[in-house]
Amino acid sequence: MMITLNPQTQKKLRRFKAIKRGYYSFLLICLILVLTTFAELLINSRALLVSYEGEWFFPTYTQYHPGTDFGEDYAYETRYRALNARWQAEGSENWMLMPLVPYSPYENDSANGVFKPTAPSAAQQHYLGTDSTSRDILARLFYGIRIALLFALAFMVVVYLIGISIGCAMGFFGGVFDLVFQRLIEIWSNIPFLYMVIIVFSVIPNTLSIAARIGILLLVMVLFSWTSMTYYMRTETYKEKARDYVAAARIIGASNFRIIFKHILPNVLSTLVTFMPFTIIGAISSITALDYLGFGLPPPTPSLGELLKQGTATLRTAPWIVMSSFGTLVVILTLVTFIGEAVRESFDPKKFTVYR
Amino acid sequence: MKTRVLQSVLPVFLGVAALLLSACSNDNGKATESAESAPDVTAEMQAFYDDNPEFFSFKTPADLPAGLVWENGQHLPDLGSPEAKKGGTFSYYLNDFPRTLRRVGPDANGPFRGWINDFMIPSLANRHPNEGEYYSALAAEWSISPEDRTVYFKLDQAATWSDGVPITADDYMFMFFFYRSPHIVAPWYNNWYGTQYSNITKYDDYTISMTIPKSKPHFEDSLVGLSPIPKHFFKELGVDYVDRYQWRFVPTPGAYIIRDEDIKKGRSITLTRLDNWWAKDKKFFRNRFNVDKIRLNVIRDAAKAFEAYKRGDIDLFRLNTPELWYEKLPDSDEDVQKGYISKDTFYTDIPRPTYGLWMNTNKPLLDNKNVRVGIHHALNWTLVIDKFFRGDFRRMQTSADGFGPATHPTLKARTFDIDKAVSAFAKSGFTERGADGILVNAQGDRLSFTLSTPYGRYGDILTILKEEAIKAGLELRVEVLDATAGFKKANEKKHDIQFTALNVGGRYPRYWETYHSDNAYDQAFLADGSINPERKIKVQTNNIEALADWDIDQLINRYRAAVTEEELVATAHKLEEALYEHASFVPGFVQGYERSSHWRWLKFPDDFDVKESHYVYEGQLFWLDDSAKKETKSAMKAGEKFPVNINVHDKYKVQ
Repeated sequence: MMITLNPQTQKKLRRFKAIKRGYYSFLLICLILVLTTFAELLINSRALLVSYEGEWFFPTYTQYHPGTDFGEDYAYETRYRALNARWQAEGSENWMLMPLVPYSPYENDSANGVFKPTAPSAAQQHYLGTDSTSRDILARLFYGIRIALLFALAFMVVVYLIGISIGCAMGFFGGVFDLVFQRLIEIWSNIPFLYMVIIVFSVIPNTLSIAARIGILLLVMVLFSWTSMTYYMRTETYKEKARDYVAAARIIGASNFRIIFKHILPNVLSTLVTFMPFTIIGAISSITALDYLGFGLPPPTPSLGELLKQGTATLRTAPWIVMSSFGTLVVILTLVTFIGEAVRESFDPKKFTVYR
Repeated sequence: MKTRVLQSVLPVFLGVAALLLSACSNDNGKATESAESAPDVTAEMQAFYDDNPEFFSFKTPADLPAGLVWENGQHLPDLGSPEAKKGGTFSYYLNDFPRTLRRVGPDANGPFRGWINDFMIPSLANRHPNEGEYYSALAAEWSISPEDRTVYFKLDQAATWSDGVPITADDYMFMFFFYRSPHIVAPWYNNWYGTQYSNITKYDDYTISMTIPKSKPHFEDSLVGLSPIPKHFFKELGVDYVDRYQWRFVPTPGAYIIRDEDIKKGRSITLTRLDNWWAKDKKFFRNRFNVDKIRLNVIRDAAKAFEAYKRGDIDLFRLNTPELWYEKLPDSDEDVQKGYISKDTFYTDIPRPTYGLWMNTNKPLLDNKNVRVGIHHALNWTLVIDKFFRGDFRRMQTSADGFGPATHPTLKARTFDIDKAVSAFAKSGFTERGADGILVNAQGDRLSFTLSTPYGRYGDILTILKEEAIKAGLELRVEVLDATAGFKKANEKKHDIQFTALNVGGRYPRYWETYHSDNAYDQAFLADGSINPERKIKVQTNNIEALADWDIDQLINRYRAAVTEEELVATAHKLEEALYEHASFVPGFVQGYERSSHWRWLKFPDDFDVKESHYVYEGQLFWLDDSAKKETKSAMKAGEKFPVNINVHDKYKVQ
């Protein structure tokens, strides 16, 4: 099926493309998303390809291979780097292809016998150095960004789903429904968000898997963040409701659900779209702040906030930690902000307004 | 999002501002001292004495037994250095502002307690930290009488409270009334002073004796270590004790007081030395407690505190993590190389805090001994010690290291050994590895536990252990909690495995608190020694392993009833062997020294510190040298150098 866009949308897209700064930021973020999606192929302690006694293995996404699979004498996960080094030293027939950065974000790899931050070194393939327990910073950043971005995207989708549904309903139905919900939202939104997240998350049982705990954190954050969206949607819907096309749809006999989602929503979409990048920024900042405070993702999950925390504690002794984590955060947030500005500008009906 | 942040931050900001304002206006807490409603506890005290005639006895000096041999410990060497000078302000820091100035009751057991109690207050006789014998402090002389489990004391008649009131026998009688009073809201004190002592007798104002109910080796330890409570100050003791005395400095027999105007709530607290302290010329107190003032600033962030030290805002800094010792203040540091600040490693000989993994044997899988043994072998402490602690720490070998002869001489903790771990896990049914390399049993249970800790600073250790344990097919889910939540979790026995440490002390290890079934379950066993099927877990005890073993119980009972030292030591060794077999405690590491750094103007005795020391400032042996301070400051301006001052004091090193 072909997706046909209406001329209005096509025009907006053309304008978005014309705003170079935002457009390239968008491409860059997409690239980062794609790259981090396949992070396992780029930054990983598992080999991409192992040729052992004429047989080929692709360990990246498969079950773990115990050392015995490759003729080693241990039953735990093969230490590919060490094995590779030995094969090369022995001039063995066997060979393997390691990823660009051959470290996982969890392993402690100490070059000099102690776990401590080491400065960036291309020779050891720690391109951004290591953190306080000798874990590769690039690996931790890369996986940390993936979690943060996915988290932010999921956060945005859920917040908008709830915000749009309730906001539109308030604007469309009006009256008592609107009045009651407004008061409820006012009360709800006065609960301090960060503290509630900290409190709720601190009582969550730790027996749950890390994925489940991240899910709960998302849920809790959504629970206290959906309200701001309702205001915008409510006023927009109020405005659109009075228009002729809504009256026409009603006369034809369209259901409320159909009127809201088929007729009104597309017309208020431009407001919505301009908020999206800023919601993402908010989500990334929040998750980073929570991690920084130690209430976010459970250790040893790689995260920007955890790295920032380490970095600020070692400002003088290991400046590369704070530099790389702070730099990454700045770059990601700036890119998303550029996208946001461009989206806002291209969706603006007054063509010659300039947001700078 | 922006407005949301403001919305949530603004009320907090206003709240903090309001708090600060109210704190400023109420700096000395006088609001709680309204005179007309002040209770008077004298009648209640008298009634308590009358109701417990067995405990509180009043006799005359003629009633003292004949032939008492009096000791005073005067043959022991001095503690202070004759070179010490008086004067100056010692600056140090606190992680948090104390929640109360009370020494007993809610919130009183915080880190600040050392500065108003543990380091500062003499007891009847104090243990000489180098020689292990007692020297006279509040008691001029004492006489130990093992036959009637009693110690007789002749109080030092010069001793006064910091407000000038003499310290007399009445303050010791009052001590028992005070500690056993429900008003203080301190159940531990109520219980300890209600059960561990059986009598106090007043012969005259300066002669007393105290008795314990059951004979045990070195029973005098629990008597000579007592310190009185000022009866005149706690005259207003009542149900409102907690609030009434919240911010009032309790008169002390020690050298330092806190004046109301020196309490800057949330910011700093300053101790002031008494010029005419009664003990200032006594053999074991002279040349100690030298500085005029001890200013404790609140610096909540550890990294910031170190920067404050490097700036010279505080005079001393403890460097007990490898990061601080090797990274933040390496030997090559400019201030160290120029001799402005020193680095000292001081080996101590004390009972070691029990850093290790405490498994909750009440949890599924962890109730299986083979699983516990497997976990022992799956933990790579060697790697932690060699690579994280850089070989400076040692492996802890038993659950009670550092107790001299009472510590088991040959027992060694289990070491990291994947094969042994895997075979132990296999014995408990975990034979297959899942897709991620973690073992699973026939029922499909993963070999996975939560490893929690209240120590944020040691979170890194746990991630190292976690990564290594995966090799043996064991998954540890690391959970770093804040201190309060972490201790609460273990106290409520909700943990799987907790990395924590209990502070230990005294001459002999204690086993009942941590390993007796009385502290694990309500009625753990039936009369015949079989497990009570209806037993319920007991919370808020130190038996955080929920260890209930009939044989270990019998050993502990024997240990507690032991009358001779030989019997006690032999039972302690048997207990350690039994605990090793039970395998629910994984000994972690031992730090055999205290590392610290101080500015050149802070001086220490030739030996630097004492053998039984936990903190370098504990014995108050240091002094400030004003001329050295001026010299150093001008040298820093001119860039001149002094000899490098990096020292290892291994006089008391344990081999």
